[in-house]
Amino acid sequence: MITATVAGLAGVLAFHTSPARLGAGVLPGVSGTSASAGSGGSPQGQGAGGSGSPPPSSATAHARPKGTAHARPGGTRTATGPAVNYNYGVLSVSVTVSGSKISHVGIASIDDGGLPRSQLIDQQAIPLLEQEAMQAQSANIQGVSGASYTSTGFQQSLQAALQTLGFK
Amino acid sequence: MTAGRQPVGPPPAPAIHHLETVMGTVVTIDVYTSDGPAATDLARQLTTAQAILQRADAVFSTWQPNSPISRLRRGEITSAQAPAEVSEVLGQCAIARELSGGWFDPWAMPGGLDPTGYVKGWAAQKALGAFRASGICGAIVNAAGDIASLGGLAPGQPFRIGIADPFSPRRLADVVYLTDAIATSGTYERGHHLIDPHTGRPTARAASASVTGPDLGLADALATALAVAGAPGLDLIEALDGYEALIIAIDGSRRWTEHFPFAPAR
Repeated sequence: MITATVAGLAGVLAFHTSPARLGAGVLPGVSGTSASAGSGGSPQGQGAGGSGSPPPSSATAHARPKGTAHARPGGTRTATGPAVNYNYGVLSVSVTVSGSKISHVGIASIDDGGLPRSQLIDQQAIPLLEQEAMQAQSANIQGVSGASYTSTGFQQSLQAALQTLGFK
Repeated sequence: MTAGRQPVGPPPAPAIHHLETVMGTVVTIDVYTSDGPAATDLARQLTTAQAILQRADAVFSTWQPNSPISRLRRGEITSAQAPAEVSEVLGQCAIARELSGGWFDPWAMPGGLDPTGYVKGWAAQKALGAFRASGICGAIVNAAGDIASLGGLAPGQPFRIGIADPFSPRRLADVVYLTDAIATSGTYERGHHLIDPHTGRPTARAASASVTGPDLGLADALATALAVAGAPGLDLIEALDGYEALIIAIDGSRRWTEHFPFAPAR
């Protein structure tokens, strides 16, 4: 089912219009309006370019990302996925959704059991997010050359968090 | 969202998806099966692959002061006194240096002999060799973006591998059909300086360089060489049987060898 999540996320990330920069531990996902999805969607998300909070109640109809992800109309909602094992320990992912868009993905908690590598792991959290975001843009690839890290644990927790929010 | 020749539905999921923490990074192992070989066979082969990676780390870690490679670097032992794979790797490094026209040279690193740029790919290629069960239709060993593979998702369905965009790490620059190995080297790599062996100084004449070919160790070395040498290095690759390369220049323009395995965008 991870595949389904990736596909869904891919659809959502396709809305990405401005190359937002990564903040610490934060993947500014989708911001700004989707020009390509068109369908005359009302402009929203003026906080483009960063991970800033989206407009409070933008419950207007949004263009759907290719039918793979959908959400109930609503404002900004956040969910944290379950803590899942990954190769270094346990992590959980939080995701914030605004309307039908993911506005923020981050690592809510990370516990590597105090291994000597812990400092390294913290540094790895961000490239891990980068990698996942990149894989998510194309559900139909089996790897990325030149990228750094990957984690199924991240995907599992993210998937669960998205399901909580009505994405599937 | 798929178009054209791809069968309908999501791509097959791997029978094994394993993450191994080794060599200061995470190595991903994915194995795809058709009818499903005996699970015990797969489990045993995975164990072998893990052991190969961990052994390579133990011998070649320049971070561990007591590893054979560290002792060799300090002159405490000769390569003849080191484990056999040290001579093997150094021999391959000498070949890679030759084939790369000197642009890859582990002997010219500022801190002394450092075959790290070859070892990661070499170890991943060797780990891939552990997977031989009859029902396996494809396998991937992905050492932090340097990827060794055999087979594909299914018969007639090659693996598709993205190439990271050097100007936007969250995007893909291209997608290739992978038949064996691909390595990508670039200035964006974390904690990795590209050194010009001719000057000993950090230098890059390309934003990124990707090399495909039968052996990941050599592909890795050649990708490093090309990232330093830039587009003029493409002629070296064009002359090598089985190897292809793509260079993304610092200005964003692209050059590639004649048969670089681009996959159609989808």
